[in-house]
Amino acid sequence: MAQTQSGAEGKQSLPALLHRNATQYGSAPAYREKEFGIWQTWTWSQTEKEIEALALGLINLGVNEGDFIAIIGRNRPYLYWAMVAAQSVGAVPVPLYQDANAEEMAYVLQHCGARFVIASDQEQVDKVIEVQDQLHQFEHLIYLDPRGLRKYDHHTLHQYSHVQDQGRAAYDEWITDLNERRSKLTYDSTCVMLYTSGTTGKPKGVVLSNRNVIESAKNASDFDKLTEKEDILSYLPMAWVGDFIFSVGQAYWCGFCVNCPESADTMMTDLREIGPTYFFAPPRVFETQLTNVMIRMEDAGTLKKNMFHKYMEHAKKVGGDILDGNPVSTADRLKYAIGNTLVYGPLKDTLGLGRVRVGYTAGEAIGPEIFEFYRSLGINLKQLYGQTEATVFITVQPDGEVRADTVGVPAPDVEIKIDDNGEIHYRSPGTFVEYYKNPESTASTKDAEGWVATGDAGFFEENSGHLRIIDRAKDVGKMADGAMFAPKYVENKLKFYPDILEAVLFGNGKDRCVAFINIDLTAVGNWAERNNIAYASYQELAGHPKVLETIQSHVETVNKSVAEDPMLSGCQVHRFVVLHKELDADDGEMTRTRKVRRRIVEEKFADIIAALYDGSPEISTTTEVTYEDGRKGSISATLDIRDAAVSSVAAKLAAE
Amino acid sequence: MPDSLLFGTEVVLNGLMAGVLYALVALGFVLIYKASGIFNYAQGVMALFAAMTLYGIMVGQVPFAHLINAIFGTHIHHFGWEVPAIIAIVLTIAVMVLFAWLVQQYIFRHLVGQEPIILFMATIGLAYFLEGVADLMWGSEIKALDVGLPQGGSFWIEENTQWMGMGNENFYGFFLDQLDLIATVIAAVLVIALVAFSQYTKQGRAMRAVADDHQAALSVGINLNFIWVLVWSVAGFVALVAGIVWGSKSGVQFSLSLIALKALPVLMLGGFTSIPGAIVGGLIIGVGEKLFEFAIGPLVGGATENWFAYVLALLFLVFRPQGLFGDKIIERV
Amino acid sequence: MLDASEGYVTEDGRQIGGVVMEMKNITLRFGGVVAIKDISFDIREGEIRAIIGPNGAGKSSMLNVISGFYIPQEGEVFFHGEKRPQMKPYEVARQGIARTFQNIALFEGMSVLDNVMTGRLNNMKSGLFAQALWKGKAEQEETENREVVEKIIDFLEIQHIRKTPVSRLPYGLKKRVELARALAAEPKLLLLDEPMAGMNVEEKEDMSRFILDVNDEFGTTIALIEHDMGVVMDLSDRVVVMDYGKKIGDGTPDEVRTNQDVIDAYLGVSHD
Repeated sequence: MAQTQSGAEGKQSLPALLHRNATQYGSAPAYREKEFGIWQTWTWSQTEKEIEALALGLINLGVNEGDFIAIIGRNRPYLYWAMVAAQSVGAVPVPLYQDANAEEMAYVLQHCGARFVIASDQEQVDKVIEVQDQLHQFEHLIYLDPRGLRKYDHHTLHQYSHVQDQGRAAYDEWITDLNERRSKLTYDSTCVMLYTSGTTGKPKGVVLSNRNVIESAKNASDFDKLTEKEDILSYLPMAWVGDFIFSVGQAYWCGFCVNCPESADTMMTDLREIGPTYFFAPPRVFETQLTNVMIRMEDAGTLKKNMFHKYMEHAKKVGGDILDGNPVSTADRLKYAIGNTLVYGPLKDTLGLGRVRVGYTAGEAIGPEIFEFYRSLGINLKQLYGQTEATVFITVQPDGEVRADTVGVPAPDVEIKIDDNGEIHYRSPGTFVEYYKNPESTASTKDAEGWVATGDAGFFEENSGHLRIIDRAKDVGKMADGAMFAPKYVENKLKFYPDILEAVLFGNGKDRCVAFINIDLTAVGNWAERNNIAYASYQELAGHPKVLETIQSHVETVNKSVAEDPMLSGCQVHRFVVLHKELDADDGEMTRTRKVRRRIVEEKFADIIAALYDGSPEISTTTEVTYEDGRKGSISATLDIRDAAVSSVAAKLAAE
Repeated sequence: MPDSLLFGTEVVLNGLMAGVLYALVALGFVLIYKASGIFNYAQGVMALFAAMTLYGIMVGQVPFAHLINAIFGTHIHHFGWEVPAIIAIVLTIAVMVLFAWLVQQYIFRHLVGQEPIILFMATIGLAYFLEGVADLMWGSEIKALDVGLPQGGSFWIEENTQWMGMGNENFYGFFLDQLDLIATVIAAVLVIALVAFSQYTKQGRAMRAVADDHQAALSVGINLNFIWVLVWSVAGFVALVAGIVWGSKSGVQFSLSLIALKALPVLMLGGFTSIPGAIVGGLIIGVGEKLFEFAIGPLVGGATENWFAYVLALLFLVFRPQGLFGDKIIERV
Repeated sequence: MLDASEGYVTEDGRQIGGVVMEMKNITLRFGGVVAIKDISFDIREGEIRAIIGPNGAGKSSMLNVISGFYIPQEGEVFFHGEKRPQMKPYEVARQGIARTFQNIALFEGMSVLDNVMTGRLNNMKSGLFAQALWKGKAEQEETENREVVEKIIDFLEIQHIRKTPVSRLPYGLKKRVELARALAAEPKLLLLDEPMAGMNVEEKEDMSRFILDVNDEFGTTIALIEHDMGVVMDLSDRVVVMDYGKKIGDGTPDEVRTNQDVIDAYLGVSHD
């Protein structure tokens, strides 16, 4: 692959792109944030000044080239500036997950040896202070919101705005130094370091260069024809590669505006007010939104309800085709237009998706019905497949070729090959530099020719050339009779029911499969309320016979659909249990990005799994739980184990 | 347009005008009910009293003339001057504010926290007392109130709508009473003013607060007594407006106080606690009873206007007891 | 009476100022029942002062005396060194004493924002006619008030429910909205009637943090009632302990904790 050394349009770093934007789009909005109920705006030229002040302040505080600066907090313009300011002074920004507990935070801070930490508020500052004894390189802590911090010892603690003030005051002293440092940045300088949550083991620091970030941002922006006119809402964790690419990479490449919500809880309101044109959300967000719409429709008047259902029916019939540009009769188009005025338009505006031109979902499989719902409304929702190590993009769905069950075609400049075990490998300009201080992992993931193993199993569809993902490569196993065991495939089918929040399938090396199920408290709780079913706790609701019945019918429907695919029919769920607690990141059962840690769940609930296999009708168990503040407790419960009907497969094919 | 449609339209327009007047009276009820939980039976009598006072001041009548003459054997009846309408209206407003203060000071201040039925009984008493005082003050004869509002049909509208008949010889254009038109404008202005008052002023906000929760209102420093006097004053003002319009139309007489009874079905339709409800309810009843009379009246021998509103209200009570806009009545088990 | 210039420094280094409010020999009776019997204590500027005691000890009555909802038969109340004449609750509120209620008294039909805005009614100066005639001035005042209110909404982290009708909120949030409304008045003295009642552990911790932050950020003098000993002891600078309408202890949490009368009252009298 020809690797350009000049950089895209000669812009080889974020500070260079910032300067271009400040010159070219100076008075256009770069950042908005709602504070005290009002949207505050910063233009690109104001942004450049703010970042410069911070950069000068950082030099003033003693930041050296090559230092690591950890950044912790919710999405705020100030923290995005901190990332660019860090790069301006030759340091490496390391955004961290704000809901990480002190222990997890200590590991990362220690691993990268951060000398500086920029934190949003007291909560984050407290966590850093709690672990600072373990951190040998740590020196200074800069905080944004002074609330509650007045009485703290300020020897190593600095307020963000003061650092900027000092930077402005010391302009003459440091500006030459800053200019020098900025000019030293190349296409191969480190742009950012992101820690992957890692489904197993400790997080790894993925080093991404300017080339990785800018090339990926440029390719993806061209692919979807993004311009400086876009608006995005930045609400996903800043430590996640997706947010870095959308809110920093593409925002700087295109010069569009990044909007930050007032708080995590106001996201839906802010979404409505901003009406982004380019929008990313994990399936979970779309699911929640849809559930809320449906709940509200249940409570609506008869007229409204009938109108909604009538037109949604029509949208389901023709909406997707209209969006994809397929032929649709004039009568249907007319009816769709009326529906758009009466139902779809208002609904999209309520959801805050009225202006979305390009929308993406990724990270997990999205339920086909949910996906179709949004597409039928005329929202151009697409899927992509990506990884931190690829600087997000591996495959994307082009406009007009969007389907629920594939993840699209290789993104521009990405090469893909699938090895004998079905594992997907890729090579692209976005391919990461290395795992920081971890050459073994780097070597085992990326080969000498630059091919990266994704760890996912999948295949290309022959007719369409689209990639389909089956499961994590290492999770795809074999059952006792040699049949393929693809847990994710079945779990996703189960999770498409609004009642089911999480499902975990077991059966590797066994003769049949069993499953754990977590109910969705919102959906099931709402159902319980409407059916006059009283419950005092999650546990009680999860154990309610009627709930179990509903879940059983879901499991049996899924079994039927799994049985249709002879290769995977062995994965039908023979017995299942509805767990008495939600799988939780605080208990280590999930990652911070809410992926199930299979091994840990398997160990922790070994007694329940045993009971699922030995045929007992119920199991009494005690589980340790961790509360948000770190205290531990335990809950005990007796769980009903249910048998689910399994569909027989006429011709039981041996896999492979 | 065919005849029936043209006349139907005219009926609807006239119904809307009548509805505006119903709405005006209903508004007075809603205001007091919201702020204090009192169903003010005396609202109609207040309109009568306000109209009589306005008339008395305008023509320079001596208040309590009969009483004074009876005691002192004098023969006074008029001061001998006439007061311009606008000044008389200002003076009447002052009288209504004084009335509000007296009512609060001497009646309802002592009944805080009593059962709604007790408060309701008190307003019945107040109604009869006020009616007696009004007669004693200004005499019980029918008075023709004229504050300068234009009367009679609007020729302008008639002439300018004649074309709609499209050559139909029986159609001379829509007949609309100028007074009704003015009343509509006045009512609209009044409603906008009331809404602006309750939404955007400090006192309005305090009024809504008191209507919601007395204890909380006290804790944020609201003087309940003051707010109640304010509410009764506003209700008095609304009564005055209603009195002027009805008085100009059909003279100031005892029957004016009975319009309160017409306001009842309006309230049942619109809900006791909703200002927009009072307006929409008034319009529905106004249009409904005129249309019903126009379409069904001839079949059943007419005079349906006397009962139509109550039957409609009854239907609402059965199917939607909270009214169109009232707070939803939710019963929890 | 104590000298107004006198004060003390708390364990965590806050300077506590002079006496803001002093209750002198207060006695309150309902018919034949004595709810408060000859109680005296003071509240100093910038401190968090707690009144604790088992249920029925007369704590709520005491708070109602301070806020003017009850009028004591005997005793005197001094506010900023001046003897307070008999006052209506709304007059007390206008003096700068804001309060919350144990059972929550919010305007259920209004939005959260409107509720908090009512807290500023007394800080609005324009009269009725001024509002009608000088629209600009009234608007400017409204904007200023809104700014104060938005800062409080931000402070108490209730931005997401700004436009939500209060009636739709869960209990814990209602408590927070009530606190916001009281704060909106920028009170000289903030009275909290069992701010943690009916809350779970997590909500209690949140509320404690807010109370401490309010005191720290705005320097607000706070008097609160609570029957959960643990919470109070962590939160307050000085504590008055009541039992059966009498004062049985007064001092720092440590002093009170080792006071024999208090120990007896808490061990001997059942409380929940």
